[in-house]
Amino acid sequence: MSLLEVKGLTTVVSGYTILNNLDFSVEENELRVLLGPNGAGKTTLIAMITGQFKPTSGKIYFDGQDITGKSPDAIFRAGVSRKFQVPNMYETLSVYDNVLISLRGDRKVMKNIFRGTTSEEKDRVWEILEFVDLTDRANDPADTMSHGERQWLEIAMLVASRPKLMLLDEPTTGMTEEGKYRTADLIQRIAARHTVLLVEHDMHLVRRIARRVTVMHQGHVLAEGPLAEVVNDETVKAVYLGKSGPQ
Amino acid sequence: MPDRAHSRHVRRSRLIPIWALLLGAFIVAAIGSVPYYAGNDSYVLLLLGKFLCFAIFALSIDLIWGFAGILSLGQAVYFGMGAYFVALSLKINYAMEHPTRYGSKFPDFMEWNGLKELPGFMTPLISTPVAVICALIIPTLLAFIFGVITFKRQIYGVYCAVITLAEALILQEFIIEYQAYLGGFNGITDYGNFVGAPFLWLILAISVAFFILARLITHSRIGTVLKAIRDNDVRAEFMGYNVANYRIFVFCVSAFMAATAGAMYAAWVGIVSFLDAGPLLSVEGVIWTAVGGRATLIGPFLGAFLVRGLEFVLSGSWFANYWQFFMGVLFIAVVLWIPDGLVGTIANWLRRRRRGSIAQIRAEEDRIAHDQQRDWEPAGAAKSGEEVV
Amino acid sequence: MSQALISQVLIGVSVAAILAIAAIGLAVIFGVAGVINMAHGQFIMVGAYTAAVVGQLGGNTFIAIPVAFIVVAAVGLVVERGVIQFLYERPLETLLATWGVGIILEVVMKAIFGPELYYVGAPRVLDGGIRIIGRLPYPYYRLFLIGCAIAMIAATFWLIYRTNFGLKVRAVRRNRAMSGCLGIDTARIDMLIFMYGSGLAGIAGAILAPIKSVSTTMGFTYAVGSYMVLVLGGVGNLLGVPTGAFLIGQGETLIAYKYNAVIGELLVFIAIVIAIRIFPRGIFGYYERR
Repeated sequence: MSLLEVKGLTTVVSGYTILNNLDFSVEENELRVLLGPNGAGKTTLIAMITGQFKPTSGKIYFDGQDITGKSPDAIFRAGVSRKFQVPNMYETLSVYDNVLISLRGDRKVMKNIFRGTTSEEKDRVWEILEFVDLTDRANDPADTMSHGERQWLEIAMLVASRPKLMLLDEPTTGMTEEGKYRTADLIQRIAARHTVLLVEHDMHLVRRIARRVTVMHQGHVLAEGPLAEVVNDETVKAVYLGKSGPQ
Repeated sequence: MPDRAHSRHVRRSRLIPIWALLLGAFIVAAIGSVPYYAGNDSYVLLLLGKFLCFAIFALSIDLIWGFAGILSLGQAVYFGMGAYFVALSLKINYAMEHPTRYGSKFPDFMEWNGLKELPGFMTPLISTPVAVICALIIPTLLAFIFGVITFKRQIYGVYCAVITLAEALILQEFIIEYQAYLGGFNGITDYGNFVGAPFLWLILAISVAFFILARLITHSRIGTVLKAIRDNDVRAEFMGYNVANYRIFVFCVSAFMAATAGAMYAAWVGIVSFLDAGPLLSVEGVIWTAVGGRATLIGPFLGAFLVRGLEFVLSGSWFANYWQFFMGVLFIAVVLWIPDGLVGTIANWLRRRRRGSIAQIRAEEDRIAHDQQRDWEPAGAAKSGEEVV
Repeated sequence: MSQALISQVLIGVSVAAILAIAAIGLAVIFGVAGVINMAHGQFIMVGAYTAAVVGQLGGNTFIAIPVAFIVVAAVGLVVERGVIQFLYERPLETLLATWGVGIILEVVMKAIFGPELYYVGAPRVLDGGIRIIGRLPYPYYRLFLIGCAIAMIAATFWLIYRTNFGLKVRAVRRNRAMSGCLGIDTARIDMLIFMYGSGLAGIAGAILAPIKSVSTTMGFTYAVGSYMVLVLGGVGNLLGVPTGAFLIGQGETLIAYKYNAVIGELLVFIAIVIAIRIFPRGIFGYYERR
């Protein structure tokens, strides 16, 4: 049984079919890359998985449970974390605090009143900040960070949440070349211990880290398999119409 | 990789810094000793108690607005309910001990409106302790119900503000309409009051207690979570926090505070009216918080004392005619020019002096990065041997 | 069905009309620019005073309507340029700032006109009524109100859906950033829409002035009623205003007939709070997805 299993997912909004009877699955400990032109439905799929919207029909199974249509916080607790396309964090909180409250733990109101921070939690936060190399920014408010740093902060927050499945939606947008390499490296190290579903556009990056890719088009899966195979697939080439250029 | 020494230091303000403790003790002592040098009956004493109640009221608004991002324009509903429960109880007891001209032992306003005796459903209020419990519990319960209905459907922002405003208006009209039971336009009056040193100390003690409670809440993990929710509730929800539950919690605590303030107010001042439960007081409370400093804890105290104090000080002079105009201008000025309030602006200034502005921070970081010639080796050099993830 | 009930329903329709007239100006502004004008009640009040002045100068309601439109639109212009234009990204702060504007307007009007109540009569031509049911005639004035409500909504519909200006307005409402990139001066649109909405509030004041006496505090209840119409009916779609107005107006009238006005407001309020659980952005609301 795959860790994530999507069956027949369909989403129709205002007459537009965004996801069209989509079947999709991710195995445990995979690093899967989700490709596709704009409008293919990649972000919508992620939105559905994480409970942002309810699909019109179809089912989503995670770790054996049916999570279709559950609330985002419940899906988080089931073990799914999501990184948004636009870096989303707590602007006035410090980098340290951003990571701290993302640590996996009891989220109930009553358990959090008057709760302090244990030394294990402190150590863990510093560990994670070292991992993304943001230790000297620990006390700065999140809104003083540069764009690349914000992406890394959000990645740090996801790592802190110790998910079973991490969904990364274009984590390298807006980064420099160097930043992208660094992020790719981070993702590879994360993928060693987590299941990662990565949406990416930058083919150089994809080629560095991808093993298995899924190509989406107009709401359904166009092709799936090892990168080398998919890239040479005729339908995929037709859809991209030379966008990815000569291999 | 160049060796960068950094201290693992998280800058946190202490729960109650020494200077705050001393300053707080000084202020408490100063207020507490007013009865001695101003006389037990003086108008200043009366005002002081009133202002403290208003300050707690403003604190309750600050808790949900500054820390949870919910603007409630109807907070006086809880203040007023707390006040009316206590006022009714005191009035009923007063009437029983001071029969009216016609010999009846129930509140005069009820008699004037044609009631023949104390209404059955009000008899529990004869016991003041029961009334106090009602005054504290029922508004909190109402807040809980309101929170569950609105927050669980993500109704925040202007919708929530406008609905709470309507709530306050309806309560006000309800009070005016049912004047046989609630005193109507004239309110509930003539039941004696508790102005005096002992009750002032009670109000003071409760103010301090609420202040510390608020500090504990905002300073602990839940405070950080609430700020996170305020900053980005979407991110918080996707990180597993049930945002609605947190907001409901704060809303209930805030209602409890407001109700307590109202209950004490009714006992202290000796008069309550529909004005204490309606939109005007609610919005005024918001302005006190805004002037003092939203998302700070001293701000509401400062704002309430400052605005109300200014009103009192200027009431005798020529400026009194323009007070309303001044208030209108104040609303606009605070929003446009002092959005963080007085305390907030001072805090920002201090923070800027300590850390530098955002531009300065960025420049500093750029300089460090440049100096240390950071470059990243794409081969994925591990900085430490351990697997962190 | 008893005659009394039917006549209450008819009265409810006119109450709905009053709410719609008061709310349409606010709906236009909130729907496009996302700001709620807390001085809306005071804008209506200024319109009513304008009608009073027009009346004193010998005019009647029909003349007062366009005059009030211009006067209050001018007030709206000043408020928008002076206060609101700095606060478009912060709707909660706009609430507070416009509350202050409302206070200032009240003070200024009281300074000009004094604290006495003014009486504005309905135009003579509307005296009397028509026998629909029962012994009491249904006043022409109430029919006039219903007519005005329909006219104002129709005029706004025409403006938003049949003019070039309206096209730009709809573009801005749909996608502000993109409209700006395509060359639409979004700041100007906001300003013009605010003026238009304010003008509508002025018209509302002129039309509604004969109902109660004109005083500086008369507007607040109209304002709160308008907010409730918006919350229930929804913004973004012009159908929201008459729907919300009808449900609230009819509901309050019928319940008030059985009990009293305050219970009517209370029960309708509770009904609204429950209804928004099903329609978080109003019945015709543009449900904003995250």
